[in-house]
Amino acid sequence: MEAPPVTVMPVTGGTINMMEYLLQGSVLDLALESLLHRLRGLCDNMEPETFTDHELVYLLKGQQGNPFILRARRALSHPNAPWHLRYLGQPEVGDKNRYALVRNCVDVAASHSLPEFLNEMGFRMDHEFVTSGHIFRKGAMKVVVCNVSRVQLPGNTENTERMSNSHLVELSVLAPAGQDTVSEDMRSFAEQLKPLIHLEKIDPSKQRH
Amino acid sequence: MSGGPAVRISIESSCEKQVQEVGLDGLETYVPPLSMSQNLAKLAQRIDFSQGSDSEENGVDSEPRDGEWGKQEPEEEEVKFQPSLWPWDSVRNNLRSSLTEMCVLYDVLSVVKEKKYMALDPVSQDPTAGKTPQVFQLMSKKKSLATAAQLLLKGAEKLSKSVAENQENRRQRDFNTELLRLRSQWKLRKVGDKILGDLSYRSAGSLFPHHGTFEVIKNTDIDLDKKIPEDYCPLDVQIPSDLEGSAYIKVSIQKQSPDIGDLGTVNLFRRPQKNKPGTPWHIKLEAAQNVLLCKEIFAQLSREAVQIKSQIPHIVVKNQIISQPFPGLQLSISLCHCTGDKKINRSSPEKPKPDDHLYVLEHNLHQMIREFHKQQLSSVVMPHPASAPFGHKRLRLAGPMAYDKAEISSLQQSEGLLEKIIKQAKHIFLRSRTARTIDCLASRIEDPQIQAHWSNINDVYESSVKVLITSHGYEQICKSIQLQLNIGVEQIRVVHRDGRAITLSHQEQELQDFLLSQVPRLRL
Repeated sequence: MEAPPVTVMPVTGGTINMMEYLLQGSVLDLALESLLHRLRGLCDNMEPETFTDHELVYLLKGQQGNPFILRARRALSHPNAPWHLRYLGQPEVGDKNRYALVRNCVDVAASHSLPEFLNEMGFRMDHEFVTSGHIFRKGAMKVVVCNVSRVQLPGNTENTERMSNSHLVELSVLAPAGQDTVSEDMRSFAEQLKPLIHLEKIDPSKQRH
Repeated sequence: MSGGPAVRISIESSCEKQVQEVGLDGLETYVPPLSMSQNLAKLAQRIDFSQGSDSEENGVDSEPRDGEWGKQEPEEEEVKFQPSLWPWDSVRNNLRSSLTEMCVLYDVLSVVKEKKYMALDPVSQDPTAGKTPQVFQLMSKKKSLATAAQLLLKGAEKLSKSVAENQENRRQRDFNTELLRLRSQWKLRKVGDKILGDLSYRSAGSLFPHHGTFEVIKNTDIDLDKKIPEDYCPLDVQIPSDLEGSAYIKVSIQKQSPDIGDLGTVNLFRRPQKNKPGTPWHIKLEAAQNVLLCKEIFAQLSREAVQIKSQIPHIVVKNQIISQPFPGLQLSISLCHCTGDKKINRSSPEKPKPDDHLYVLEHNLHQMIREFHKQQLSSVVMPHPASAPFGHKRLRLAGPMAYDKAEISSLQQSEGLLEKIIKQAKHIFLRSRTARTIDCLASRIEDPQIQAHWSNINDVYESSVKVLITSHGYEQICKSIQLQLNIGVEQIRVVHRDGRAITLSHQEQELQDFLLSQVPRLRL
């Protein structure tokens, strides 16, 4: 019996080439209520959805300088939901006029044995945190308003302390590569949220480590 | 006072008269002393007549002053028990006490003036201890009430004036108030100097790609000289050109037309809406939204008609979808959109046919598309964890749980809009044909009577009827035959009284034969 054919070319196409368009901003806790009200009015008419997630960031240090980063996230409010593994590429440098940050994005759902699997593969956990907040949706756009808490003891998600008294707001769209109308829609949506919050593209590579 | 001879002491006044003037030669001129009457007058002036008689004076004085004048106490007591020695004693005491009081008052005032150690504070008056006379109270109350009433009247006058103005304005209908009314019902936003609105169902969960944007414009073509017409509205809306007019979805079941080439654009519309330029904005907007919904329904149906494989393929021609629920029968679903420009006469060559439009199915189509919209908005779609993409909750499990194709396809929505509406049409047709068959038989056969009792509560896919075959006059002797017919989508299930069940197909003849076979059973 001959061995089944093994392809050496990487798999391309399908949902692999999804790009994430991202805008970020932050709002103080005092202004959170009014922002939530505003979003409730602007976004699709659904019951407000809250979430509590625990995210672990894994690094694979290779010989080259830049380590490979994977983000594993699980829902603490829904223990039966599968884990979510995410790879985010470098932001695309292209059109300076493009309002949103564009980067390659790969999303995979995984079972609950994900952390052990990543450890076996050679990834080491760099840091972890707990976020909780609200999700809103308008068509294909997702708005996430969350607060970030530090995990003090590794693995213990009960005792967390908030990192700041403000909330992080992210507006993101997952779309196949090449659709630039998406960033225009995001820009007009962000305009409607001013002056409560200014959403803009923040290049993560320019942040200090 | 004991022993010794009594010493005579003479007391006389010091005789020191006040010096009025000292002369240049040293001679002093004295002020003439007061005569008896003058002296008396002087003393009398000093009497405090507000106090009562001597005994009262003493009593009143001694009690409150006990605490203060510890030193004076023995003296006072002595004074109390002795009868008054000289007539001016009490007067002297009173004067002394008043002097003391004045000194105290002076001290208090000087201390208070400094405001360092003591301060004055008003004490709340006991209203019942008011010594003011009743009349004065009444007058003051009346005055204050009058002031309050005046204020209120002024305010009421202002309000009534503004209400009257509003009434007047309603006839004129300010642009801003109309805009406020529009905003309370529709979604508006301001882009630059234009006001745009959204009449699509996208915020309610629709995925139809039409933008559905309308523009709000100010109606300025008014001639101020002429009288303002009754239905004048300063606000007008401009709807997209492809949503003008009115539309509806016509669903009908007919005998199959012999020639497929006969199909043309169905332009029958029974509800022509002429869009006059003066139609109020809410009618225009509602009509445009209805057109958009009908377009979405038809687009969904035609997409499914093309994609879904069925045994007899569905035909999509222009604005009509034709399918065959039963052999020899044709179900046509068409989108009738009347823009109001063309004349009604020229489009429908035939005479108005008897109304075979099934309102129920049209209503069900609207209901189903709204159901589909609601599913898009259900919280099942929301991702947990939050970074996951949108999608059905169970589909996200497909990867980790390693579902195979059969399981995944069972999770997807099984039936589309078109399949559902075809099933409903089949059921309606089968039910009406069954009713017709039973009625036909009942009118034809006189001897055993056939009665049909239809159940009021039905499903879209199932109805039931109870058929009774009885013989008049012999009900007690021979048992009537009771048959329960459950009419489904394609079959009729018959249940006898004793529990036997038979399934009949949709053929009319089969049902007729079956009922006819039940009739002779009664005769036995």
